[in-house]
Amino acid sequence: MTVHVFDTMGTVASLHTAEPLSHVDLAAVEAIFVRYDRTYSLYDAASDLSRVASGDVRLSETSSEIRDTYALALDWRQKTDGLFTPHRPDDVVDLSGVVKALAIDEAGTLLSGSTDDWLLTVGGDILGSRGVDSVDWSVGVVDPDDRGRLIGIAGLGSARRALATSGIAERGEHIWSRNGRSHYVQATVAADDIVTADVLATAIIAGTPDDLDRISSQWDVDVLTVDRDGAMRGTPGAAEWTRRCAAAATERASTPSV
Amino acid sequence: MRKRATAGGIVASAAILALGWHLGADQVAATTVPATGTAAGGAATPSASSGATPSSTASPSATATPTTGTGTTKSSGKAAISGTFQGTTEQTQFGPMQVEIVVAAGKITDVKALQLTNQGGRSVEISNYAAPILRTEALNAQSASIQSVSGATYTSGGYISSLQSAIDKAGL
Repeated sequence: MTVHVFDTMGTVASLHTAEPLSHVDLAAVEAIFVRYDRTYSLYDAASDLSRVASGDVRLSETSSEIRDTYALALDWRQKTDGLFTPHRPDDVVDLSGVVKALAIDEAGTLLSGSTDDWLLTVGGDILGSRGVDSVDWSVGVVDPDDRGRLIGIAGLGSARRALATSGIAERGEHIWSRNGRSHYVQATVAADDIVTADVLATAIIAGTPDDLDRISSQWDVDVLTVDRDGAMRGTPGAAEWTRRCAAAATERASTPSV
Repeated sequence: MRKRATAGGIVASAAILALGWHLGADQVAATTVPATGTAAGGAATPSASSGATPSSTASPSATATPTTGTGTTKSSGKAAISGTFQGTTEQTQFGPMQVEIVVAAGKITDVKALQLTNQGGRSVEISNYAAPILRTEALNAQSASIQSVSGATYTSGGYISSLQSAIDKAGL
């Protein structure tokens, strides 16, 4: 197992692989994130999207790639009844809600060309792949009330490939809730792809319990939420994560420390 | 409620299912969705207590096949039925719905409420609701064998003190 760590998109990416990747492969992965950041970051005044935000360039004048990304974000806005939106309250187009996931997705496609066993984590959003003979990656879900603890352990790589968590805790990630105050402080979604997981986690944080029911029933996803009182809800698949976590805690407690 | 009490050995979900089975998929949708707050109202029918026997409205699918009936069942006097059965399609707030049950040796072993169409155009189980989970003692992350953690996004600066950083350093 090797781990390659690099800074990108204002956070840190961790790439786990069973076998060491070549420098060329690692550089190619990093380059994908650099390209997305240079195009879409609103923290970089020179990025294409910053120039749209400042009014220097019209969105319709941007590259087809940017317009496609915007169209994808609008499509998700429609699918989530507006819970997910690429429009900030000040009307600035902010595509960060899909861009990180798109970069992870593209990096994943590249990685799969080199190896079957890889796990890519970017600021808490995770995409993984496992070869047919390997056991799934084990991925913990952080307790929003105590970040040194876990409330669930999910398997990633074969059945589910992507896991994303949205929360209002750490970065003040810009989730624009229709209702002002979010009902949930953390939402974790496992899906077959990282864009779906990431967008729906964001939508759940922005939504109500009814929205959660609608989303979990409408998409093939596992969802684990924590609300303001610390109460948890989970779909059957996510309930399995908490059982696995509890079993590990019990095992730990009954094992004498060496 | 006495009738429900006589249902004996039948788990709540199966009872709800049997109820929905006879009253239509709409009832199933209403009774399995905690958020709606609609209770079943204890309207369990005598037939619900039999549970394991599909009603005459059920149209056994092609997969319904008699089995050798191994094991013991409480439904003595009846041939042990096994197979997958689908109810009639009902229009509900979720769109067209259909209830499917899996019966093994005369007992309902699984209940699914199928939504026949959704945005993706495929059937999904509407039973994928996020139900309350009792919080057991959370696991100290240091003691878990994990390769990654998912949480709200940390900043580059926050990474240093994050769980992910510890995991990466350990090279797990």
